[in-house]
Amino acid sequence: MKLIKDKVAKLSFVALLVTVTAAMFYTPTASAHGEKSQAAFMRMRTIHWFDLNWSKEELKVNDTMTISGKFHVFAGWPETVDKPEISFLNIGIPGPVFIRAGSWIGGQLVPRSVSLELGETYEFKVLLKARRPGDWHVHTMMNVKGGGPIIGPGKWVTITGSMGQFTNPITTLTGETIDLETYNLSNTYFWHAFWYALGLAWLAYWARKPMFVPRLIAVDSGKADSLISPTDRKVALAFAVGSIAIVAMSMSSTNQQYPVTTPLQAGLLRGMKSIEMPAPTVAVKVDDATYRVPGRAMQMTLTVTNNGDSAVRLGEFNTAGVRFLDAKVTEDTTGYPDDLLAEEGLTVSDNSPLAPGQTRTIQVTASDAAWEVYRLADLIYDPDSRFAGLLFFYDEAGNRQMVMVDSSLIPSFI
Amino acid sequence: MSASQSAVRSRAEAVKVSRTFDWLICFTLFFVILGGYHVHFMLTGGDWDFWTDWKDRRLWVTVLPIVGITFPAAVQSIFWWRYRLPFGAVLSVLGLLFGEWVNRYLNFWGWTYFPVNFVFPSNFMPGAIVLDVILMLSNSMVLTAVLGGLAYGLLFYPGNWPIIAPLHVPVEYNGMMMTLADLQGYHYVRTGTPEYIRMVEKGTLRTFGKDVAPVSAFFSGFVSIIIYFLWHFFGKWFGKTNFVQST
Repeated sequence: MKLIKDKVAKLSFVALLVTVTAAMFYTPTASAHGEKSQAAFMRMRTIHWFDLNWSKEELKVNDTMTISGKFHVFAGWPETVDKPEISFLNIGIPGPVFIRAGSWIGGQLVPRSVSLELGETYEFKVLLKARRPGDWHVHTMMNVKGGGPIIGPGKWVTITGSMGQFTNPITTLTGETIDLETYNLSNTYFWHAFWYALGLAWLAYWARKPMFVPRLIAVDSGKADSLISPTDRKVALAFAVGSIAIVAMSMSSTNQQYPVTTPLQAGLLRGMKSIEMPAPTVAVKVDDATYRVPGRAMQMTLTVTNNGDSAVRLGEFNTAGVRFLDAKVTEDTTGYPDDLLAEEGLTVSDNSPLAPGQTRTIQVTASDAAWEVYRLADLIYDPDSRFAGLLFFYDEAGNRQMVMVDSSLIPSFI
Repeated sequence: MSASQSAVRSRAEAVKVSRTFDWLICFTLFFVILGGYHVHFMLTGGDWDFWTDWKDRRLWVTVLPIVGITFPAAVQSIFWWRYRLPFGAVLSVLGLLFGEWVNRYLNFWGWTYFPVNFVFPSNFMPGAIVLDVILMLSNSMVLTAVLGGLAYGLLFYPGNWPIIAPLHVPVEYNGMMMTLADLQGYHYVRTGTPEYIRMVEKGTLRTFGKDVAPVSAFFSGFVSIIIYFLWHFFGKWFGKTNFVQST
């Protein structure tokens, strides 16, 4: 019995070692950004990204690309998330694989945080310069103070080349052109090495003599004062005076070398210019909305009234970056990420043109695996089980108008 | 060999054992202090030390000496009052800087590719040397706290200025003025560190115009005095051997 116990113990130990070793050596690349883990209601009821365009899918180190589009700040912003009064237009990438060469909202550069208004729609653009080779998932992203990062749709982009070739030339206001990638590096290394060496010298001065045991004995026997000699005092004074003198001289010479310096720039940018959206001529009332869990489909009953002067059809439902299209009305021509595009995911009970002045009640079904894959179905477990999204109606001339919908969502488990 | 017999047979052997013991203790302490101080500093100083676009004239100058004088004060009290060794502060800062550089080089640059000129640590060495020397020359905790603590705060900004000044040169970028440090923060994307998290240039200290750094340094020095007292007593308490059972 003991033999068996010993063998089990030994084998268990070996198994543990193998597991630990395997865990240490198995390091796959982490390429997601937790976009699927973020509470569904946050993605559906905060920032609605649309008309997105990634200008390139493959580029070389030092090449640039843009992500452009629009985002609508949902008027029914959830109570559980702080309002976007202090927000930052970010980009969701795994570290600085690109540098953010520029970002604009409504044509204004936004290197700092901005204040956004509920119910407004903004145009944005982010200019990226490729830095590190690899396949990267590049997301739009809005950080909201008190709300966290609100991540938008992402697309895979490939960077080729070598990171060693990356340069980041900048011309300062003093007329000097520098490479920000390596600027000030040798100066940083020099001063840190210098002060570290001085600290080591101070330590070495004391470490050359016996340290702990004899000194403890001396202190305990009341001979502590004998442990510091006059020479020690002189050396110590030289270290202190020398350090202060070096600090003063290096500061003075630095000021001579860099006579023009400014403080860090900070502060909130207000008054972002939003898009003047024409008032929609289509009025939509959500009569009810259910999410059928087994079918991975959301069904809405909508009462649609066309107050315009041309007939319209419903072409798209967009929520949390997932686009459900009625292929008979519209199709994607922008190369939108496949996993976020349900090209035939929108079914409308009667999608014949709705004539001006007409009102019709329709059943709209948005179905696709994306509900499950992007964990939007988890909405039913959220503290605020409501959905929201953008409906896009098209007239015969191809003109588009956007209508916001927002309603409670009742799950159906059978 | 009975328990009452010595483990060494001659004075020369005793000296050799004592020196070996010295190096073992020094080596071990270096890494113990490094670990404790590093974690403490990352948690309290954190982003102010990580990124150049957090190294401002107000909060960086104020916060870092205050949270940075802690371990030097504690280690000093053990080393000085028990061994009359005046290198507690320098040893702590050597440990901290070693740990920080390993972290910045291997983690920030090696794993996530932030350039080192954006993520280098702050320099505490001038203040640490002066702190050690004042304790040694004065043999007084009070004087070390008052003069050394103040010096620790005052020397921090000028001690780092030669490293950060080149990054405070202004640049015009797409119609906005910013420093090169601001530009680093903007260019090198930090997904989890949005711009509004940055605590820089905040406060109402506007009366002194552009000369706000010395005022912040003085304030930091004053608070460092209090923190020095506190952590010096922590060190004394931790340095006690009351809990060791005598045989």
